[in-house]
Amino acid sequence: MVLNKGATAILFAGLLATVSHAAIAAESVNFVSWGGSTQDAQKQAWADPFSKASGITVVQDGPTDYGKLKAMVESGNVQWDVVDVEADFALRAAAEGLLEPLDFTAIQRDKIDPRFVSDYGVGSFFFSFVLGYNEGKLGAAKPQDWSALFDTKTYPGKRALYKWPSPGVLELALLADGVPADKLYPLDLDRAFKKLDTIKKDIVWWGGGAQSQQLLASGEVSMGQFWNGRIHALQEDGAPVGVSWKQNLVMADILVVPKGTKNKAAAMKFLASASSAKGQADFSNLTAYAPVNVDSVARLDSVLAPNLPTAYAKDQITLDFAYWAKNGSAIATRWNEWLVK
Amino acid sequence: MKMTAASRPSTPIGSAAGAPGKAAVMKQTPSLVQRWRGAGNLVPALLFLGLFFLAPLIGLLLRGVLEPEPGLGNYQQLFANSAYARVLLNTFSVAGLVTLFSLLLGFPLAWAITLVPRGWGRWILSIVLLSMWTSLLARTYSWLVLLQASGVINKALMAMGIIDQPLEMVHNLTGVVIGMSYIMIPFIVLPLQATMQAIDPMILQAGSICGASPWTNFFRVFLPLCRPGLFSGGLMVFVMSLGYYVTPALLGGAQNMMLPEFIIQQVQSFLNWGLASAGAALLIVITLVLFYFYLKLQPESPVGASNAR
Repeated sequence: MVLNKGATAILFAGLLATVSHAAIAAESVNFVSWGGSTQDAQKQAWADPFSKASGITVVQDGPTDYGKLKAMVESGNVQWDVVDVEADFALRAAAEGLLEPLDFTAIQRDKIDPRFVSDYGVGSFFFSFVLGYNEGKLGAAKPQDWSALFDTKTYPGKRALYKWPSPGVLELALLADGVPADKLYPLDLDRAFKKLDTIKKDIVWWGGGAQSQQLLASGEVSMGQFWNGRIHALQEDGAPVGVSWKQNLVMADILVVPKGTKNKAAAMKFLASASSAKGQADFSNLTAYAPVNVDSVARLDSVLAPNLPTAYAKDQITLDFAYWAKNGSAIATRWNEWLVK
Repeated sequence: MKMTAASRPSTPIGSAAGAPGKAAVMKQTPSLVQRWRGAGNLVPALLFLGLFFLAPLIGLLLRGVLEPEPGLGNYQQLFANSAYARVLLNTFSVAGLVTLFSLLLGFPLAWAITLVPRGWGRWILSIVLLSMWTSLLARTYSWLVLLQASGVINKALMAMGIIDQPLEMVHNLTGVVIGMSYIMIPFIVLPLQATMQAIDPMILQAGSICGASPWTNFFRVFLPLCRPGLFSGGLMVFVMSLGYYVTPALLGGAQNMMLPEFIIQQVQSFLNWGLASAGAALLIVITLVLFYFYLKLQPESPVGASNAR
C-alpha cells in the first residue's frame, strides 16, 4: 500500500513536471468563443495565421460561459486567456474586477472604432439587430421599421424577439413608440413594457441564432428582430426572407482577457493580430459580421459589403452598452416581472 | 482510513457477544453492531461525496447569505417580489402537471410490458430505454418539428379539415408539458414495471375468486400493490422536473419561466450569484421536504415481502 502510494506520487510528480515543462517550452493561448460557424471563422481568420507567424499555439475552447469565467478568476485557476463576450458583459466584468487591462502598445487603439474599445476590451466584431420578415407570410406588405412589429393588422403573424434581458428589445419598442434615437437613454421602462404589452401574446422568444433562423424560415413567425448575419445566411440559402435595415441596432462582441491569466503577453499579441485591419476584414468576409477596425472596410469583399452593418451606418443606432452594464441587473428584475405577469 | 481501522476491531466483539448462553444480549447488541459492521466500506463514498458534493453545496448555501453583503437580503428579494413567487408557482405547476401526465401515460405502458409475453416485454422496454439514451436536445427539437404551427401535426389536422387555424401547441405551457412528460416517462416506467413484475398474479386471481369485480380488483388490489412504484417514480419525476432547464427553454414561452431558467439568468448574465444561490437553496429545501414526506408516506413495500418468500 505504502509502496503503491509512493509510486503514484512519483508518477504524478513526473507527470506534472512534463506538463509544466511543455507549457514553458511552447507559448500558447486558450481562445474561447461561442462555437459554431463564428468560432470556425475566428480560427481561420485569426488563430491559424497568427500561429504561423508567431509560433504561438492557439487552443480553441468554449463555449463562452460568464459563470465559468467568474469562477476561474475567483479561484485563481484561470484556464482561459482570451474570451469572446458580449459588449455589455465586457463592461460589467471590468467593473467587477474580473479582467486584465489591455496592452495598447501592442494593440492599435486609434484604428479601432471608439464604440468598440475600452481599457479592458477590444472589439471582436459588431453586428446589428435588423427587422427580418418572411416574404411568403407577408405577401406584398413590406415592413419598413420597428413600428411594423406592433402593427398586427397590416402584418399578421407571430413576432420573434430576443429572449434575454439585454440590449435590443426595449430599445426597439421605444423607437416604435416614437421616442427619437438620441432620447432613448435612460430607458423609459414603463413606456417600453406598455408598448410590448400590445403584442405580448404574439411574441415567440428565441434564445440562439439557429432557433431564430428556424422560426423565420419555417414561417412560425412572420417577422421579428434578428442578428443580421443570420438573415444573410438564410438569404444565401434561398429562403424567402426580407430585411429592413432602418433603425438597425448595433451590438458588439468584445475580446477580453480574464484577470490572472498565465499567458498574458501571448494573449495581447493575439489580440493585436485579431483586431488588425487584415484580421478583422478576413473574419467579416467569412461571416457577414462587421469589422471593428476602421481600416478593414476597404478590404471587404465587394459582393458581401452591402450586407454588412457598415453599409447602413446612416440609419444606425448604437445600443448603449455602458448603460446596460450598469443597469442590466435592475432592468432584468423589471423584465422578469413583466414576463410572468 | 482511520474509520476503517476503528470499525474493524468492533467486529470480533460483535461475534463474541453472539456466543451461546447470552441470549438477552445477543438480541440487542449484535444487531446494532452488525448494522454498522460494514460502515468502513462507506468511507470512500463518504469522502467523495463530502469533498465533491457536500463542500460545494455548503459553499453555495453560504453564498446565498453572504453575497453581495451578509444577511438575508437575497431571500427577502426572492420572496418580496411577486414575479418570483409567480416563477415558483410556474415551477410547481409544471412539475405537477408533468408528473400527473407521465404517471397516466407510464402506468398503462408499464402494465403492458408486464403482461405481454416476456420477449415482447423486453422489446418494449428496450424501446423505452433507447428513447432515454437519445440526445435530449435532439428529442426536444423533434417535438418542435411536430408541434409548431407549420409542423407535422398541425399540417395533417388542417389537411383533414379538422381545424382551420393551427393549434398553438408550442412556445407555451402546453409545449413544455408535452415535451417533458414524454422525456419523463421512462423514469416512471422503470420503477413501476419492476414493482408490477414482482406482484404475484395469483393475488389478483384470488381477488376475483373472492368475488371482486374487475374494477374492484384493480382499484382495491392491484393499484395499492403498485403504490411503491408509483410513489418512487412520481417523486423522481417531480423532483427532476423542478430542476429541468433545456426543454422548457426550447418548448416554452418566456412567460412560463421556471426557477432553473431564473437561476441561469442570474448566474450567467448578471453574475448575481447571491440571488442565484438563494434560488438554488430554495429548490434544495423543497426537494428535501418532499423527500421527507415520501419517506413518511411510503407504505411497507409488498415487493420486499414477496421477495422474502
